[in-house]
Amino acid sequence: MNRFLRQVVWLIYRRRREADLQAELAFHLSAEAEDRQADGLSQEEARFRARRDLGNVTLVQEDTRATWGWVALEHLMHDLRYGLRGLRKNPAFTGTAVLSLALGIGANTAIFSLIDALTLRWLPVRDPQALVQIRIAEDKQESFSYAIVRALAEQEDIFEGVAGFSGWAANVGTPGSTDRVPGALVTGGFYRTLGLNPAAGRLLADEDDRTGAPPVAVISYGYWERQFGRNPQAIGKAVRVNGAPVTIVGVSPPGFVGANVGSVADITMPVAALPAVSPEAAGLLGPGNFWLRVLARPRAGVSKAQARAQAAAVWPQIADRVTPAGWPGFLKEGLAKARFELVPGGTGWTRLRAVFRKPLFVLMGVVALVLVIAGANVANLLLARATVRQREIAVRLAIGGGRGRIIRQLLTESALLGACGAALGLVLAWGTGRLLLDVLSSGPQRVTFDMAPNWHVLAFTSAVAMVTALGFGLAPAFRSAAIGPSGMLKEHSGISRSRSLSSLVVVQVALSVVLVIGAGLFARTLDNLENVDPGFRREGVLLVDLEGRRTAFPRELLDELQQVPGIFQASVSTHTPLSGAVWSEPAVPRGQAVPERDNAYFIGAGPRFFDVVGMRLLAGRGFNDRDTIGSPPVAVVNEAYALRYFNGANPVGHYLSAKVRGHATDLEILGVVKNADLAGLRKAAPPAVYVPYYQLLGNNFPTTLAVRVSGSLSKAAAAVHDCLQPRLPNVPIEVRPLSAQVEATLVQERLLALLAAMFGGLALVLAIIGLYGLLAYGVARQSREIGLRMALGAQRRGVIAMVLRRAVGLVLLGTALGLPAALVASRWVKSMLFGLSPADPATMLQAAFLLIAAALAAAYVPARRAAAVDPMTALRHE
Amino acid sequence: MQSGASSRLELLQGTLDLLILRTLLPGPAHGHAIAKHIQRTSEEALKVETGSLYPALHRLEARGWVAASWEHSEKGKRARYYRLTAAGRKQLASEQSKWEKFARAMGLVLRPPHEESV
Repeated sequence: MNRFLRQVVWLIYRRRREADLQAELAFHLSAEAEDRQADGLSQEEARFRARRDLGNVTLVQEDTRATWGWVALEHLMHDLRYGLRGLRKNPAFTGTAVLSLALGIGANTAIFSLIDALTLRWLPVRDPQALVQIRIAEDKQESFSYAIVRALAEQEDIFEGVAGFSGWAANVGTPGSTDRVPGALVTGGFYRTLGLNPAAGRLLADEDDRTGAPPVAVISYGYWERQFGRNPQAIGKAVRVNGAPVTIVGVSPPGFVGANVGSVADITMPVAALPAVSPEAAGLLGPGNFWLRVLARPRAGVSKAQARAQAAAVWPQIADRVTPAGWPGFLKEGLAKARFELVPGGTGWTRLRAVFRKPLFVLMGVVALVLVIAGANVANLLLARATVRQREIAVRLAIGGGRGRIIRQLLTESALLGACGAALGLVLAWGTGRLLLDVLSSGPQRVTFDMAPNWHVLAFTSAVAMVTALGFGLAPAFRSAAIGPSGMLKEHSGISRSRSLSSLVVVQVALSVVLVIGAGLFARTLDNLENVDPGFRREGVLLVDLEGRRTAFPRELLDELQQVPGIFQASVSTHTPLSGAVWSEPAVPRGQAVPERDNAYFIGAGPRFFDVVGMRLLAGRGFNDRDTIGSPPVAVVNEAYALRYFNGANPVGHYLSAKVRGHATDLEILGVVKNADLAGLRKAAPPAVYVPYYQLLGNNFPTTLAVRVSGSLSKAAAAVHDCLQPRLPNVPIEVRPLSAQVEATLVQERLLALLAAMFGGLALVLAIIGLYGLLAYGVARQSREIGLRMALGAQRRGVIAMVLRRAVGLVLLGTALGLPAALVASRWVKSMLFGLSPADPATMLQAAFLLIAAALAAAYVPARRAAAVDPMTALRHE
Repeated sequence: MQSGASSRLELLQGTLDLLILRTLLPGPAHGHAIAKHIQRTSEEALKVETGSLYPALHRLEARGWVAASWEHSEKGKRARYYRLTAAGRKQLASEQSKWEKFARAMGLVLRPPHEESV
């Protein structure tokens, strides 16, 4: 250790040591000279002999310096300084190389940030690696009932804590405003299991999660800042949640926004308090509703495997207690036999992962290709620069510089480029990240991630930058050092870089072809989906969700709504197409046995509903004002249902047996309506049964108004809002178009189409730059030949044609290579396409044309320069 | 690079270190004096090249076996004097014993006791 310290000290006092060494050698010289003088030589003779005896002073100094131990580091510092100077002196080269790298690295970093935030990042809680998520192994079921979570929480010898949670939203009224606030419902052990400490006040505990406990809430740090200005008085204050008074007891720590990744929970309440603020949802606490996700922390010393085994052992007793009495036998059995699996839960839970995993991995492949193209550009640039520096390298080799040293120095320059590219890339990535978030948020769920670069991302970026820079800098470095000095010092010699440059450009073009075709496929998929006929009217319909409504919407209000100018027709229903919420029940023709799992979609539809949303009646009639409680129970089915249960025969007049909201009823079929894509634009239409809204029993069903508009949507929306808000003061009236609801289901496709287009475009630009560089170099190198040709009578047109031919030839070669690759690649993403096959000829033709246009664009300037060659100047000695 | 009579022997790096350490045993000396001492004491058989001496001295200093400081020479000029450290003393003892074992082994093979000398 002392030795190391000594070397560090020496490094710091490097200059002093070098001066000392010089003085030491000077003393040696003079002492030697004196000795020889004493032997009888003259002073001059003595000095001369002493000098000769010493030998090469510089060599001695170097050898001595070598023992100081820092040679490698000194070389590195020297290389860096030299490299920086070289880069500064060639701004065009440096700029292009750094920009290419930045674009490639930035794209990769952006996608990786997203993947990291979505799947890799830990929750900001205590010891997230120890957390597990509990799931049922058979069908990967992640939702559990309140009763099950409480029962699991009682198993204290297995789990230190069990946390059940679910996303939620509520109308929170503080003095001054009522907003719809995103939040979460949690069980008592939530904060304890995660191991969080409050930023103010206290967090929810088991006592709060009991029936009869006063309703309390915890707010997020961000909400505390925004809404209360971090005022400590907010603790203990009462706010109105859905109209009911709730006390704020504390603030969760900054940085924690819930266990639902991608969502923010600004207000968190215990599950037991739900009936107090949403009486219609009180049923969720029952044993038949599976809606809570579960994270748990095994007791210290209990491994995951042990916890699972112990849970499996106690489960049969628990299952007995928590199984709902009204369940059919097969469901009870299934629950009793369920096996748990404990998967790592430290990264939280989110539905986003399932939706976006595949597109993100496709995008990862795309940006990797972009990086290769960018790197090829950098390799080209480095080769070009090596050509320019041939003489310098030759001289260095000739005077004794080792090849290894030169290679190291060239690699240091590549590394410098990589570092600059990475720094710029990080900035670009941050900007792209925000764009990505905006696209993701256009889906049904608002998406919030903290996209600030964290150390995962920084490490990834640095690794990518280094690998790229070194990988693409290696070949040119070796090539430069391989050619001996004599080869380089000759007049017109040079590294024959044409062949390798051409092949690099061909590869770039091939990769661009793949990406451009991919972008085309995704863009057309999105287009197809946006124009497909979903079986209902997409445009011109407004929806108003009435959350928190407890009884059926009054008919008089519907009639009043229809009188509003701009409104053509208004109706009401429990569910709207593609809203994300589904109600399903078993429904079979009367007389048939009720199947165990085969449910139909159910929608409670008001009078004129089918007209408003544009679903065509194929037989019979829709609902009218006379279909209400008291009149005979009726239903309308869709084509798919008629096909499934009546084999295509007309079911009008037949009867259905179904359980509508728990009441077993026989319904007379009034009509058949055309299929609507209720399960998604890409899925087949499911069998659906429509029942009259005003025949629904009970008083806690969701309600959405549907309004058909004639004229301007925004004006109509304002008019609807003005009509309804005074009648429903405690309810925020939000009017939105049905088209937006449908669009929201296309977020995956939109993401892919946008990003594939962006990155495909980027790849194309990079390939054009590469092609341009190659052509420009060719023209410069061949200017003598061109001059000769023109002097011998070639037309300018011919010269231009020569350049264009070369460009188009390279592009065609690249396209020929790229097309088969594109076919293979598009087969992988086949499942994501809609309405077209992976080998779609129109897309491929478009791509080919685009690339030829690119070739011509790249060739434009070099062609003009070739045509501008003055034969006299070119023929003279360069 | 050899110069002079053929009786000059080549010095390996390890042996040079040993010679320097031994030279410094009586007391500190500067580089020139060390070289002269080795030359004289070996009866001109070992001449230390300056090109090897100074790297060796600095290497020994890097290893902590000698320590250096600037002093005034007998003639009054400033010179860099090297002296043995405690670790250096130990190293000297161990290297010397290794060398003696080596020399004895060489001697046994080159002049085996029961054979006639050639």
